[in-house]
Amino acid sequence: MRALPAPVATSLIGALPIALIIGLWQVIAMTGIAPPALLPAPGTVFTRLAQQLGSAAYLDHVATTLMRLFAGFAIAAVAGVALGITMTGSRWAGAVIAPLVRVLSPVPKIALYPAFILTLGFEDASKIALVVADAIFPILLATSQGTAAVEPKLAWSAQAAGASRLRCLLTVVLPAALPSVLTGCRIALVISCIVVFLAEMITSTDGLGHLLVRAARSFQSVDMFVPLITISLLGLLLNAGFNALRRRLLTGFPEAD
Amino acid sequence: MMRCGPALAALAACLGLFAAWEIGARLAGIDGLPPASQALVQIPSILGDPESLLHIGASLQRMIVGFALGVAAAVPIGLTMGRSQHVAAFFNPLLMVIYPVPKAALMPVIMLWLGVGDASKTLVIFLGVTLPVIYHSYQGSRAVEQKMLWSAAAMGMKAPARLVRIVLPAALPEILAGCRVGLVLALITMVTSEMIARQTGIGNILFNSLDMAQYDTVYAMIVIIGGLGFVLDAAFEWLRGRLVAWAEPSHPIIVGTT
Repeated sequence: MRALPAPVATSLIGALPIALIIGLWQVIAMTGIAPPALLPAPGTVFTRLAQQLGSAAYLDHVATTLMRLFAGFAIAAVAGVALGITMTGSRWAGAVIAPLVRVLSPVPKIALYPAFILTLGFEDASKIALVVADAIFPILLATSQGTAAVEPKLAWSAQAAGASRLRCLLTVVLPAALPSVLTGCRIALVISCIVVFLAEMITSTDGLGHLLVRAARSFQSVDMFVPLITISLLGLLLNAGFNALRRRLLTGFPEAD
Repeated sequence: MMRCGPALAALAACLGLFAAWEIGARLAGIDGLPPASQALVQIPSILGDPESLLHIGASLQRMIVGFALGVAAAVPIGLTMGRSQHVAAFFNPLLMVIYPVPKAALMPVIMLWLGVGDASKTLVIFLGVTLPVIYHSYQGSRAVEQKMLWSAAAMGMKAPARLVRIVLPAALPEILAGCRVGLVLALITMVTSEMIARQTGIGNILFNSLDMAQYDTVYAMIVIIGGLGFVLDAAFEWLRGRLVAWAEPSHPIIVGTT
């Protein structure tokens, strides 16, 4: 171990539990402690995953899920940032919005899903609405906390230089709060990914979540694992991609980590 | 602001939401959106019905068991991660991989293994709770002042005792912040897993009434679940305020994932 440079050793230690889990999975599958119908071997699952990722029908489902995910996330990001900055910009708006957020943020948004189905139908709209409901709160809270913590002198100088309050909020306060806003967005992105999948599991005729439920109904355990792994990989990729974007956008910020 | 200011504001916000719902429903006039007044009168009859109370009680029991087990497992892991780089390096990548997995979506797979009973639902809640509690305990434990640990070590305190008697109390505000997120997530995971598995519990009442087109009951259940979330969160925040009154008051939380 001592010969290895520290980062390599660290990532080796980190790979250990993941390798252990996959190894244990392989052993359980091979020794037949669990029948393949309950726990298919990892090799079978990953082969199936690779095969599915090459099939047009499967990719269609992935595209449906992604469309709902991004539609919901985009609406939540725009509305969340707008509401968050309004809370900081106007004391009156803050006094109205803050208690609403206090009441609504601990509510399990998934419970609203039946209401969205009843008002918006079984199609895309109700799923997108659920994603918005779940993703908006992290963005809103991160924006309002981030903008409220911006050094007031920055805003004062801009206003002394003749910028209007609105202009000052948008061009000085919001960019200064960017690290916090982007953190909120990253959390919301992973939440959107999870929520869209759950909504598709509860009622749907297409999308990755639907594939899982369909496989569960016919006890095809391999096909149950494949959508689960796909959505988790999507979440990982989106998270990593957003982190890379965040680092690029935040070059020069002292608090970028 | 007065001491009861926030409570009054929350009450006003609730009333405002119900008023907006009432007006919106009357303007829209569709079957799928009954006015607030019609849905809210259903609440006493749901809460007075022994069968639905049994369902709600069973749900809450699973939630509390899953939450307690999750906290009991997560706090030691998080605290050790914060004090040992090797332990942190061991767990971090695993946690990063688990983070985007939709825990409630594991329900069908876990049901294959453990059956449809309480065990699988409790396990899913456990999985939903552990991640945020580990993360916050880790952050709290990492931030403990090194000098305090050195002093204790110099006075002859062993490592496990240092973890329990110094790191744990010092990290308590952060641990409790994690527990608060975990509690909300336990409720979310509970409702979601019941909506997916649909055998018993709150989520099942919700979807049964949706199938039977009892829209008033659907909305009444939504209000009950929402109220549960708010009350649990407020109660925990009150408890937290009493336990760690010496720490800074917390911000509204950003709930992670299900």
